[in-house]
Amino acid sequence: MKKNFLLASVAAGLSLAAALPAAAQSIDYGSLQELFNEPVTTSATGSPQRSTEVPVDMTIISQADIHRSGAKDLPTILARVAGVDVLNFAAGQSDVGIRGYNQARSPRLLVLVNGRQVYLDHFGYTDWSALPVQLSEIRQIEVVRGPNSAIFGFNAVSGVVNIITFNPKFDNVSRVEVYGGTGQSNGASLVETFHVGSKVSVRVSGGADQQDEWRNTSTTVTKANIFNPSAVHANLDAIVQLTPKAELRLEGSWSNLESTQVISTFAYAAHRVKTWSEKATLTADTDYGSIQGQVYQNQLDALTPGRRYLNTITVTSLQDLFKIGANNTIRVGLEHRDNQLDTASYVGGVVRYTVWAPSAMWNWAVNDKLALTAAVRYDQLKLERNGTFPAGFPLIQKNNSLWDRDIKETSVNLGAVYKLTPADSLRGTYARGVQAPTLLELGGLVIPPATPAPTGVLITGNPFLNPAIVTNYELAYDHDFAPLKIKASLKAFAQRTQDVKGQFSTAAIDIPATATTWTTFSYKNVSDSKMWGLEASASGKYDNGVHWSADTTYTDVKNEPFTTEAVLILRKVAFAQTTPKYRSNLAMGWANDKWAVDGFLHSVTKFDSYNGNLLEPVKGYTSLGGRIAYQAPYGIELALSGQNLLDARQSQAKGPSGLMAERRVLFTVGKSW
Amino acid sequence: MFDRCKTPLAAAAAALALAAPGISHADAAKDLGVAGRALTFLENGPTGKATLGVVFDSSKPASVAEKNAIMAAIGGGYAAGALTLVGKPIDAGDIGGVSGVQALFVTGGVNYAAVGAAAKGKKIIAIGSDMACVRSGACAMGVETEPKVNITVNRATAAAVGASFKAAFRMMITEI
Repeated sequence: MKKNFLLASVAAGLSLAAALPAAAQSIDYGSLQELFNEPVTTSATGSPQRSTEVPVDMTIISQADIHRSGAKDLPTILARVAGVDVLNFAAGQSDVGIRGYNQARSPRLLVLVNGRQVYLDHFGYTDWSALPVQLSEIRQIEVVRGPNSAIFGFNAVSGVVNIITFNPKFDNVSRVEVYGGTGQSNGASLVETFHVGSKVSVRVSGGADQQDEWRNTSTTVTKANIFNPSAVHANLDAIVQLTPKAELRLEGSWSNLESTQVISTFAYAAHRVKTWSEKATLTADTDYGSIQGQVYQNQLDALTPGRRYLNTITVTSLQDLFKIGANNTIRVGLEHRDNQLDTASYVGGVVRYTVWAPSAMWNWAVNDKLALTAAVRYDQLKLERNGTFPAGFPLIQKNNSLWDRDIKETSVNLGAVYKLTPADSLRGTYARGVQAPTLLELGGLVIPPATPAPTGVLITGNPFLNPAIVTNYELAYDHDFAPLKIKASLKAFAQRTQDVKGQFSTAAIDIPATATTWTTFSYKNVSDSKMWGLEASASGKYDNGVHWSADTTYTDVKNEPFTTEAVLILRKVAFAQTTPKYRSNLAMGWANDKWAVDGFLHSVTKFDSYNGNLLEPVKGYTSLGGRIAYQAPYGIELALSGQNLLDARQSQAKGPSGLMAERRVLFTVGKSW
Repeated sequence: MFDRCKTPLAAAAAALALAAPGISHADAAKDLGVAGRALTFLENGPTGKATLGVVFDSSKPASVAEKNAIMAAIGGGYAAGALTLVGKPIDAGDIGGVSGVQALFVTGGVNYAAVGAAAKGKKIIAIGSDMACVRSGACAMGVETEPKVNITVNRATAAAVGASFKAAFRMMITEI
């Protein structure tokens, strides 16, 4: 099946290539970055732009930043970005949010690897350990704050994490790394780029890692739910130069992991995830612009005790990027998504939706000082369900036709960048993002009791759930203190979320039992929410090898419950209480030809988490990470790194009911060639 | 917790700022680096070793100084991406007979019109660090490096010398 899919993709790409005049090039990020002396991104508008000129609030983490972070996982790296919230629930599980609203199984973030979504679509969350990418093959990570679903696509409501790997056509990356350390931590990774003739460029990568779970100091986490995290990944990326200006990129990935995780109810559970994907992208520069056709399929096999989720999503897209005159860049696109969750193995049903989404973007360089960007995307989601229901399913939902429903929503992004002087710029943005309900929320989740109705309770999705709409306004001011080599930024933002989706709660009955049906708990839109905040950041980089950066982000979240605050706590969406007011970072480092030394302080003020149906406080904390590296002969690098160095154990996600993050120290040997 | 950390954080940042070295100024090497790398984005542009003619006016000390700085930066060969540039000084008075160069770097103060006419006649791309050269249509491309890299392409002049840039590059520069 997978093989046929890939072959069909290749055939479709080749036939399309034959119909196009010769003309396409992929983006050589490295050369453009060297030319303009700053990171380059194509994510914001589809066309390449300097990081300082994009019409969105973006931070770019470079490969050098990743390498010198000393981290072995993406959440640790992301936590050091201004405005990013990370909940470290277990050694192998973290949830990432941006400017608040973070939660277990956080569903508000769009995470991409080379344009392919890698968040798990059935639940809308990202299993960071399952991402089939080695840190040493990442060119850059683009972190976009705020809703950007008109520009980036589905699910981009609190932000976007866009991971760009090295391109085998332009970047020769060959590296092997082995590490080991405290907590029985160990791992290895390999990245190799090679060329086959003059027209085929290939990058292969693989890696494995494992460690002990943090010591169980909690009284609520049972031994059966403690599982030492381990993961294995593999990835293939091949580019075929079809003509001098047309290329076909084929990517495939596989991952397999086991770990302790915190599920959406904030309870710990053993967890196993397998993912695999295939992707084909054809790009051609033509007289009609740069045309890109892409198709990919993600498959998931996830097992949490008693529940197995088989999710397949296929995304097909076509876009054209072209320039009109000297100052107008246009992108038009059409995306189709087919997403299905097979619950047949235990309840006899398949929940599925298809989405058609046309989109357009216009970037207008009005003059040397002012650039305007407008993007709009229209999603038409068609929901359906096939199959049977468990015997005690509530009668008012026991009908597949209830799933015959359309959700139609429009996403909008507007941005203006104004250069006051060569050293000062202002950026204003407006966004309307759409967070569609996930397949689980829409009925993919069905957990029947073992007992016949009316005894026992049923947990299931809700086909009537509405999408959450997130509206965001932001104003940013950037200044380059060129004489001091310091850059600084101030931002103010305000956000409103309508129809926040609440979890099921066993203390809130949604459908009462009857003589023949179970008491039923489900998902529900339960509130609106408001947030405003401020962010300040600065950084400096000097010729003597010293660099530093500092940032702090303040957010103030207010719940606007449809009924009572108590309901929001039961349904795990009391975001005013669970969002810290401040998250701050200070990083300092120095390097010469042989040595590199880096330190990272990360501080989060107090917030609440959940213990069952109650809130529990989590103290504010400060953590320290660091790395010392020595460049030995023959391209060998030796590095000592550590995370959470200030405390042997520290709560970073839950209070007494949770596991505590442990100090870990690692020794790494790496070699590049 | 945050309040406790705020003061040390600010103090450390201020200390680092004070420890920073002095100001870095624009120089000919930076202009050359940008010009050289920009040439790698030409469709069917030069690869490997290419000769850059450095056009100067011997009667103007500033132009001569810029030429000297550019030639010094090139030295025995200047690597810009996949391209290695070698330099060839060209007196503006001799521009009509120029040969053996793949691109021209026009120093400030020369007679742009004459250089532009010769470049168009011989289908050679001319690059300058003075935007007046680009605006006048003599230079196909202008490069600025301070306070940040800026590249301006005169589309009519580029077309006249047969220079076509890659799509990605075009989307990141200013076209007039």
